[in-house]
Amino acid sequence: MGLIDALLGRVRPAAPKIDTLFSISTACITLEANLDITHAGVAGICFKIVSSTTFDRLRSDLEDLLTLTRRDTATEYRIEKDSFGYLWIVLRDNDFEDLVTTINLISETVIENGFGSALLCSVFKFKNRRGKKIYMIYNYKSGRFYPFIPEGARERDGQYELKLNAVLSTELPLEKDISKWYPMWGIPL
Amino acid sequence: MREWYGKDWGLTVRMVLTAGLLVIVYLAFLTILAQFMEAIPLLMIAAVFLIAQYYFADKLVLWSTGARIVSRDEYPELHTIVERLCNLANLSKPRIAVIDTPIPNAFATGRSQNKAVVAVTTGLLRRLNRDELEGVLGHELTHVRNRDVLVITIASFLSTIAWFVMRFSFYSSLFRGGGRDRSAGATIIIFLVSLLVWFISFLLIRALSRYREFAADRGSAIITGNPSALISALLKISGVMKRVPADDLREVEGMNAFFIIPAISGDTIMSLFSTHPPLEKRIERLSAMERAMEHGTY
Repeated sequence: MGLIDALLGRVRPAAPKIDTLFSISTACITLEANLDITHAGVAGICFKIVSSTTFDRLRSDLEDLLTLTRRDTATEYRIEKDSFGYLWIVLRDNDFEDLVTTINLISETVIENGFGSALLCSVFKFKNRRGKKIYMIYNYKSGRFYPFIPEGARERDGQYELKLNAVLSTELPLEKDISKWYPMWGIPL
Repeated sequence: MREWYGKDWGLTVRMVLTAGLLVIVYLAFLTILAQFMEAIPLLMIAAVFLIAQYYFADKLVLWSTGARIVSRDEYPELHTIVERLCNLANLSKPRIAVIDTPIPNAFATGRSQNKAVVAVTTGLLRRLNRDELEGVLGHELTHVRNRDVLVITIASFLSTIAWFVMRFSFYSSLFRGGGRDRSAGATIIIFLVSLLVWFISFLLIRALSRYREFAADRGSAIITGNPSALISALLKISGVMKRVPADDLREVEGMNAFFIIPAISGDTIMSLFSTHPPLEKRIERLSAMERAMEHGTY
């Protein structure tokens, strides 16, 4: 499909993968057991704002959905736009399972409404003993995770990221190509 | 669920037809050429030239445009926009270059996705807002994904040979001064045939190039989900292109096949010879995609 489409100049949006998203739950247990890293009770999902009325409708549908889930699981939510024109839904819940389930629910809803190609990533926040922020970023198009550990304004702790990569490699589908571990500065969670 | 952007079968058919015609013209050319002369050495020389051009495309183009590869630290926002688009479309991130000129423009080059470079001018960065810049970058990323450098290089292969043969036979007939009748006659036939082949293939390659532009516009709209932003960018760029003094334009005119908007005022040149489709047609098709987004069908 790939080469023929390329030669004919046909672009198809990349299909999102969500079946591997749940593996973050077991990774969370490993992180706590082996590295004393605990989840921070926050997760977020980021997607591109598409300029169409259908998308606006999706946005209000999502809000209804999140209000309903809040009643069930006490998951708090916040919606904000970042400086690159992407929408973030930030979820807050002390139960990590609830966070993963809700992220999955949002992803499915976005895909069902035909905006799967707009899904950029979801982010799960962790912290170690000293309170260092650790993010695991899930890329929807590759279906893989990668670690992102910011340090100061524009630095990242590469060594720590590689360590996490090694520890989690049996649990999580991780992005093997390190050049694709794109930083996400100013994650709103 | 039916996707909003649908399929542009017309574009695919036109592209395949053009490429098919090109193949027929080339095959006929080779057949005629083989009747009159030893074509193999010539083919090999031309092949070396083209392979070299293909392999060094990125360096050659960067050098001739004065584009400089820039790091993430220098242009963090530009890098982030490209990274996110690549993530959305599941593409490898190309290298990013910046050209220091007030003319707003952008191009993509490089033979493979890994060697690809997307270049933008400082004028483009200054004039476009974020959404418009995204549209332009989506267009260039689609060129990379569609391997347009490869496609155009292959398409140009025999056209370049025809050009060589034409020059070669022209000079050889001059030097021989029309002595032996038979070989002089053959030289004239070769000259005329290669001239014809060169001219027809030139037109076909230009047509193919225009279809690739439409495809890149479509790709950008699909990746960014915002056809109107690209329309707005195209209008801004072309508006400026018409106003900048001609001296500046001439410097970059050789680079047209790579630019998002060619550096010539479109009114003077016949559309048949153009590397890019007319702006109105590009906007018309992008508007159709915008409408399709709102109505849910293409």
